[in-house]
Amino acid sequence: MAFNLTRRKFLQTASLAAAAVPLSKVVSAETGITKAPLDAMGTHGDQTVVGGICEMCFWRCQLVGKVRDGRLMKLEGNPKSIDNGAAICARGNAGVKLLYDPDRLKYPLKNVGKRGAPTWKRISWQEALDTCGDKLNQVVDKYGAHGISVFPHGASAKYPMHYFERTVGTHNVSEASFFQCRGVRDTAYIATTGKAPGEKVDMPNTKVMFFIGTHIGENVHVSHVKQYIQGLQNGAKLIVADPRFSASAAKADIWVQIKPGTDTAYMLAIMNYLVQNDKYDHDFIENHSYGFEEFSEAIKEWTLEKAAAECDIPAAQIKEVADLLAANAPNVAIHPGRHVTWHGNDFQRQRALACLTGLLGAYYVKGGWVPAKGPKVKGFSWKNHDHGTDYNLNYNQEEEALRHPYAPPGTPSELIRDCAISGKPYPIKGCVVWGQNPMQTIPNQEKMKQVFMQMDFVMCVDIMPTDATLWADILLPEASYLERYDYIKKGTQWNLAETHQQYIAPRMPLVDPMFERKDQVYITNELAKRMGHASEIPVKSLEEMTEKSLASAGLSIAQIKAEDGIHIQPGKDPYSMPEDFEVQLYNDDLADAGFPGAPTYIAVPDVPKGFARLLYGRAPVHTFNRSQNNVWLHNAMPVNPVWVNNEVAGKLGLMDGDTVSVVNSEGVASGTTTTVKVTPGIRKDCVYMYHGYGSTNPALSVGKDQGIDDQKLITILTADPESGCSGMRNNFVKLVKNGKVLDMPA
Amino acid sequence: MQYGMIIDLERCVGCHACTIACKAEWEVPVVNSRNWVNRLGPSMTPEGLASTYYPGLCNHCEKPPCVDECPADPVDMTFTDAKSGATKTMSVSATWKDPFDGTVQIDKERCLGCGACADACPYGARFVNPDLADDNSMGKADKCTYCKPRVDAGFEPACVQTCIAGARIFGDLDDPSSEVSKYVKNGAKGIEPTGGHLGPNSRYYGNKRDMSLLFSSSTPALADLGSAKRRAMLATMVKPAMNKARDIGLLGLAGTMLVKKMNEDE
Repeated sequence: MAFNLTRRKFLQTASLAAAAVPLSKVVSAETGITKAPLDAMGTHGDQTVVGGICEMCFWRCQLVGKVRDGRLMKLEGNPKSIDNGAAICARGNAGVKLLYDPDRLKYPLKNVGKRGAPTWKRISWQEALDTCGDKLNQVVDKYGAHGISVFPHGASAKYPMHYFERTVGTHNVSEASFFQCRGVRDTAYIATTGKAPGEKVDMPNTKVMFFIGTHIGENVHVSHVKQYIQGLQNGAKLIVADPRFSASAAKADIWVQIKPGTDTAYMLAIMNYLVQNDKYDHDFIENHSYGFEEFSEAIKEWTLEKAAAECDIPAAQIKEVADLLAANAPNVAIHPGRHVTWHGNDFQRQRALACLTGLLGAYYVKGGWVPAKGPKVKGFSWKNHDHGTDYNLNYNQEEEALRHPYAPPGTPSELIRDCAISGKPYPIKGCVVWGQNPMQTIPNQEKMKQVFMQMDFVMCVDIMPTDATLWADILLPEASYLERYDYIKKGTQWNLAETHQQYIAPRMPLVDPMFERKDQVYITNELAKRMGHASEIPVKSLEEMTEKSLASAGLSIAQIKAEDGIHIQPGKDPYSMPEDFEVQLYNDDLADAGFPGAPTYIAVPDVPKGFARLLYGRAPVHTFNRSQNNVWLHNAMPVNPVWVNNEVAGKLGLMDGDTVSVVNSEGVASGTTTTVKVTPGIRKDCVYMYHGYGSTNPALSVGKDQGIDDQKLITILTADPESGCSGMRNNFVKLVKNGKVLDMPA
Repeated sequence: MQYGMIIDLERCVGCHACTIACKAEWEVPVVNSRNWVNRLGPSMTPEGLASTYYPGLCNHCEKPPCVDECPADPVDMTFTDAKSGATKTMSVSATWKDPFDGTVQIDKERCLGCGACADACPYGARFVNPDLADDNSMGKADKCTYCKPRVDAGFEPACVQTCIAGARIFGDLDDPSSEVSKYVKNGAKGIEPTGGHLGPNSRYYGNKRDMSLLFSSSTPALADLGSAKRRAMLATMVKPAMNKARDIGLLGLAGTMLVKKMNEDE
């Protein structure tokens, strides 16, 4: 098992004999024999290789590699970076252990056993690609292009996703980063301000930060953490609404211990208070908003007292927060959040955040929402084609309207899964999983299993085995982010108060791929050749793609290398509002489509007696389950303790550190166990755990069965009506100790 | 000069970057650590509900109890001041406190791997590194060096360089104008063991509730030196035999590797 590998044994097993202590170095001195030095050398003398762009998460910090004898010893932030600088997080540092993970996929594999319980046989790339081409062709011939569904994630999945979506022509693409994460944030803000908000709040230069559930510190993106810490150091006040005393709540001036699901009511009360007490930004509202009167009328029922009762927080605290925001407006950072697919009422909450920002006049001003002006670099991918609406599952043919008109790009996951399982309105019989792990991103695993089981063909492309790759017929090993050209990271200096600069940093390989790993352009192009699309291939290699993209900005790979991996150029002042910028406090289009025109609170189901609501969030050392097998990260946090309120624990006889399993209200059991964390830092009506544990793939020798998979316990499905995004926090659980199911006291 | 490190808990977000960078930099075995981050709370303190971190590492103490317990035969060692070039010769066992920069260091070549020093450290900052086992020992004592090889070469300690929040500050505590000294003036405190006066030079700065939680949860007791001394004595007793066996042992090591290499080649 990889966990027990010593350094020297590891070096040997990683087929890097050159880096193991060579026999020649053991010989010298008086006896003719001496040892290699006992002290590790440190990496400061090693060769520095530039051009790394991290993808341990999707923030993509700029890296350099420290390379010794062809082996990557360490990753560091690129000192030239004006984003993350020389700093990278735990996951970034642990990229070395992903690169050399002995459990990594090495060769093309064919499943000669069952889906879900595979027996793998190593095959050649030729056979693997021929099989994938044949099987996908059969699906297209028999059912049409829409018979293929695609579940992509990450930089490497973009090129194949475009191929299947644009060239092959299926609408049935579901990105977890949209439908189970931030898609609803973006479409709600677009419906309000015309712009996807990112997390572009000017925290270093703000007076107040306002977080709804955002838990920076446990959610780690380096330059974002830098902005947040700089804001705190500069004296900004921090307001955190969270049922749990999160890493951010621990640094907050005001912790709003809000009842889960009621955030919109909370913000409506803040906004109503600002309107009723004339504490909003008149100038902004007059010049840059639409529908103030309808909006004010729609939210006027939300008195402080009404929200206090709904949200289970003191009315005085709502007033305190509203007054603090008003007193510091417009220099307030209303954070748009990131993973926001919580309850299936999320479009409205995100609309409320966008409107609150508007009432405070906090767009394009110091400390507010400010989209930094980055450089332009053109992407090169498959050409767009219009594939009509005939097979778009999100298009209601009878009503000639979209079912979820505010869906992010792609097709809502549930529409794809329902169609695949029912065969209506058409069969979906081919499945391409590329970098995503839909078993642990999309709620309800039994449903995902049914989707896989009814397929004629399933192919997965990944760097590691995951719980999804168990379901593949053909499994292809991909080069990692450290071994390929790829994504071009661009942006500005992390602190907008500093000299305005822009950077362009293409991903370039730090080391060569080992074994038979291939990159996405090779694999996709080979599929395209076998599927009759050879003439449409846009680039022959990732290197060519990178070179072409850089050329659009007047740059080249050679120049970037000469510039130590990052091109820096003068930037632009972002603090000026476009003249036509408008906040739609009331949105006519929404109203016409049958949705509330003004932000509206939609209550979520209450916690049934005897249960607690299951909440989850980010572990600072993991990026979901995808990093669970990393020995360094695993060792930092081996399990995900379940947070239980101390009074609740007292009644249940639970002690800190007890081992428990979890069962949900639909009878689905966690299967694995974790420990209990007893704390006053969580409400009594919920329990909490880090997401990204409890993987079941036996090929994960470190991560398998460690901690509990929160995703397995999310079986009650809710879809946000406007966007079709998943609601993932409407599930209820009990803890099980020593085989005894414990009734959770309210 | 006395090197020291400040951990600013107002900045620290508990991300563990420091611990993983250290593992990479110094090839620390997975299950061992030269530094660590313990997550504390949320717990009630007299100052209110608190949640913070204990990013721990060797304290490079004023009076390091580990140094006194080393049973290795003392030898004369000449130390050089990296800045002035001044030298000083001292008789030291396999671990010592550097007379110029104040760091506590280990000579792994002479370390017996007995673990007495690890037993003597109340903070658990030392461990016996099993990857460094040789014919004389089950491993060698290992710990944070304040990244001395990096620092002497003009680099920051690896944990400081990678800290995403700027929460780790390294410098000379004897220099009143240094950042670390300013932090000490503002109240940064080392964690003294109960009843001990070791003079820890890794120090913590934070608000009242975080400091209350850190010190109430993470103040160790002084180590039981009895066990350290017993361990050191045992090591001393077998030492002459080990020295004799050394050359033979090394031949054995080389032979083992040769056989292994041949097996792999097959």
